[in-house]
Amino acid sequence: MKQNPAARSFYYVIAFAFASISLYPIVLMIFSSFKTNAEIFKNPLSFPTSFSLETYQKLLDQIPFFTFFWNSVFVSVISVIFILLFGSLASFYIARYTFWWNNLLFFFFLLGMMIPIKLGIVPLFMLMKDLGLINSLWSLVFIYTATGIPLSVLILTGFFRTMPKELEEAARIDGATDIRIFWHVLLPIMRPALGTVMIINFIQSWNDFFFPLIFITEEVKKTIPVGMLSLFGEYSADWGALFAGLTLSSLPMIVLFFIASKQFMEGLTAGAVK
Amino acid sequence: MELESKVNIQTKSKQKKDWKKWVIHLFPIPALAIYILFIIYPLFAAFSYSLYDWQGIKRGAFIGIENFISLFTTEPFNSMFWNAFQNNIWYFLLEMVVQNGIAFMLAYVIYKKIRFAEFFKVAYFLPRLLSVIIVGFLWKLILNPNFGALNVFLNKIGLESWAKPWLGDPDTALISIILVNSWFGLGFAVLIFLAGLQGIPGDLIEAARLDGATGPKLIRKIILPLMVPSITIMTVLTFIHAFEAFELVYAMEGSMGEPYYSTDTLAVYFYRLAFGGSGGADSVAIGLGSALAVVLFFIIASISALFLLVLRKREVEM
Amino acid sequence: MKRMLGLFLGVVMVLSLVLAGCSSSETNSNASGNEGDNGSDSGGDKVTLTMGSWRTEDKAAYEKIIKAFNEEYPDINVEFKPSKNTEYNTILNTALQSGEGPDIIQLRPYAPGMELAKAGYLEPLDDLNGIDVFADDVIAAAKSEDKIYGVPLSLNSAQMFYNKKIFEEHGLKEPKTWDEFIEINEKLKKEGVTPIALGTKEGWLLSLGHSIVGPAHYGANEFVDQITAGEKNFTSDEFVSSIKAMDELKKYFPDNYEGLGMEDIRTLFFTEQAAMFPLGSWEIEVLREMNPDLDFGFFPMPSAVGKEPTMTTWVDGSYGLNVNSEHKEEAKKFLEFMTTEKFAKLFASELSRIPAVPGVETGDELVTAMAEASNQYSTPYLMLVHFNEGNPTTKATLETELQGMYLGKVKPEEVAKKLQENAETYYEPFQK
Repeated sequence: MKQNPAARSFYYVIAFAFASISLYPIVLMIFSSFKTNAEIFKNPLSFPTSFSLETYQKLLDQIPFFTFFWNSVFVSVISVIFILLFGSLASFYIARYTFWWNNLLFFFFLLGMMIPIKLGIVPLFMLMKDLGLINSLWSLVFIYTATGIPLSVLILTGFFRTMPKELEEAARIDGATDIRIFWHVLLPIMRPALGTVMIINFIQSWNDFFFPLIFITEEVKKTIPVGMLSLFGEYSADWGALFAGLTLSSLPMIVLFFIASKQFMEGLTAGAVK
Repeated sequence: MELESKVNIQTKSKQKKDWKKWVIHLFPIPALAIYILFIIYPLFAAFSYSLYDWQGIKRGAFIGIENFISLFTTEPFNSMFWNAFQNNIWYFLLEMVVQNGIAFMLAYVIYKKIRFAEFFKVAYFLPRLLSVIIVGFLWKLILNPNFGALNVFLNKIGLESWAKPWLGDPDTALISIILVNSWFGLGFAVLIFLAGLQGIPGDLIEAARLDGATGPKLIRKIILPLMVPSITIMTVLTFIHAFEAFELVYAMEGSMGEPYYSTDTLAVYFYRLAFGGSGGADSVAIGLGSALAVVLFFIIASISALFLLVLRKREVEM
Repeated sequence: MKRMLGLFLGVVMVLSLVLAGCSSSETNSNASGNEGDNGSDSGGDKVTLTMGSWRTEDKAAYEKIIKAFNEEYPDINVEFKPSKNTEYNTILNTALQSGEGPDIIQLRPYAPGMELAKAGYLEPLDDLNGIDVFADDVIAAAKSEDKIYGVPLSLNSAQMFYNKKIFEEHGLKEPKTWDEFIEINEKLKKEGVTPIALGTKEGWLLSLGHSIVGPAHYGANEFVDQITAGEKNFTSDEFVSSIKAMDELKKYFPDNYEGLGMEDIRTLFFTEQAAMFPLGSWEIEVLREMNPDLDFGFFPMPSAVGKEPTMTTWVDGSYGLNVNSEHKEEAKKFLEFMTTEKFAKLFASELSRIPAVPGVETGDELVTAMAEASNQYSTPYLMLVHFNEGNPTTKATLETELQGMYLGKVKPEEVAKKLQENAETYYEPFQK
């Protein structure tokens, strides 16, 4: 696996160039949150001259940030568990069996990705009302699970298909049941795909603001994006405060990602060994 | 395909004896149940809206397909549709080239086992963690014509003439939005491609190498064909994403697809009809909006089906 | 094995949920009945009303107003629950169509708000005590088919703000004629100051700008009377010249004006980089907050056709009563309170805006001067008051087409023509 040094350094140049493009706006957001309005307009590119946490203090005093935070955690974690579990069960069924309706089933799941779900908001609202879920975090859990399933089925079915058939056959000869093959044989080696699905759906549920806007009106049930959205109206002209708000609402996600990313990325490489 | 049916035959013969054979059919039930209840049912209920006459948010008489006819025969609805449709196509093509092209390159670079691979993966993925509202807001600021970081930077290095009102000029607005979207989606595409690359059995590549395949030839003959599954996923996803492009346009250019409809997309147009344009204070046309959503659905569904069929066929042929 | 158990529990849970969903949609009426009970449970004898609004920035002021209301009615709890301006209609419409929504609803002014009345979601308020304090043209903003559906909240005006310090430094005075106005622009431009802080990125700024500049060219109220009678229309010379005037002014806009939105032009004005700022009365509070040292005034727009100068005025959002409210009597008490001087005084002092209740002083010099000028030189915001219907609305059409004009895609005559075509789809005087 020897490569010529010119090619290798070219790889590094490309990798670093795009890494800085990816990171720069995020760094800018964090820096700007420490700046005053005047400083942002005068020197948008520079380092902040002082690191004052005053703006953050002001924001935290005004909004029940930790309540929003726990609501977001609750909704995202439960939705992701449901999506992973239900999505992989359905994908396993679609990918590893050849009942004549499987392709139809697969496409039926994909349909959900092809319509702007916002269209159905009025019937959805009535449904939630009938289920008694208006102003309940469960309304969000169910809608995020439902909206997450199509993409998960698409990704997981693709990966289930690439799993070597020999593994399954060997297990069947040993007398393993479908459930056992699913849970003990295939799922463990699906970790990279599951990791991807998990992260994507976690982000999706964490960042959505449309559904909480419609289903949740009680302050104490709001999730971070909606809770913070109300700040934007209030501080529309105070850029420093706005950036602090933006940083505050993205920080939990970034921190969680760093905690989870090691496993997530390890999963990726582990899955690639075979 | 052959293998699969063999497994199937075995399964069947086994299942005959197995009283638990129905258990397998329970597997897709939970997903189906939630999905039908919370997605399919509300959407189809809403589809029927397209068949009624609407006065604001009050439903009037049943009028059959009149809304569909108006959508394509009366101005300004007709020209708005085709303008938005065109923008959607640009959205798809440019995302395929820019986002997926770059992502493939970066995935390949990481696959080459360079150092700091972990750091790069995290870095590329980080933007994906932000909410689209935040992304839109951040980039609006960076692209601000007078004190935005990009123009300030261009002025500093003496390229004043390059500095533009990026989001206000119809020639650059759509491209800017698509580039921001690519920035946002890059990391996900890298991960999908990387997973695809890492799924290629190492011995296959070694064998090809021994046969004398290197560089571009190796990519073209061995790697690309074996990556068809991940390319399929990304193509279909990019297509659906491009035709549903809404949030970023809405966050950066509002519900009118400003400037002068140059960033308008079908989903933004739908939103404007169904929920009101100009900052949410405008009148709504729920009948027309629902008709548009039905049309959009058929466009996306038929073309994605086509993609899946064609690419799946290639996959099987490999 | 434990894992499998969990899995099956999940399946069972989902199935039972689906069944629950089916059964409860059959017993629809029951479910909504229960919700009503919950509402009154929480406060014993106390009733809780919710108020919907798009004014997130007014939350603190409303809390004070509600406190004042509770001095009289301690048993009526009122919760002010604003949502973001751009999403307000979506949230409200969804809830209303499902038979829910806040008890007291802030209504968009004129036609868009009255759509809710036409759809049957609002309770008529003709017999509300105190509703007769409002002037006819004020109550018109909340009237549909001769019934009153809202308590008007405040009067807005749009005018040209100017930076007094910059005017002084350059030896300029408030213009008395259109020519003087152009001279001011020329002089400022020559001397390196951006004359008018206006950008064309956000359409609504353009229809608002036109509402200030337009009357000077189409001849204010006389033309308004003619066009609403169907004697003139948008392709009449008077109106076309008002569009041309908008085009002409672009020389005096900031650099890169195509890319500038609300925040940008406000910033240009309060950082004293631009001399004039054509905007609404609600900006006073924001400008003062952003730069407390900013010394600014306003002037009525001088006419280009030898008429009186103009202040553009309209009634901003009124408050209506949800027809499905469980507590209509209590909600009416609050709406009655909104017609009183006590409310109006609080509203004026907390928000520095002109209340719709007549004869209330704000105690703020600038706001009072604007109110006086508005009384004297008032002309309606034509697009908002008379042409805010159709799909897209004529107002929205003007916004988009003006944007197109500034980008060199359409000519002023074509803008006028598109407006006319749009208005003809619904405006009765044009259909004769």
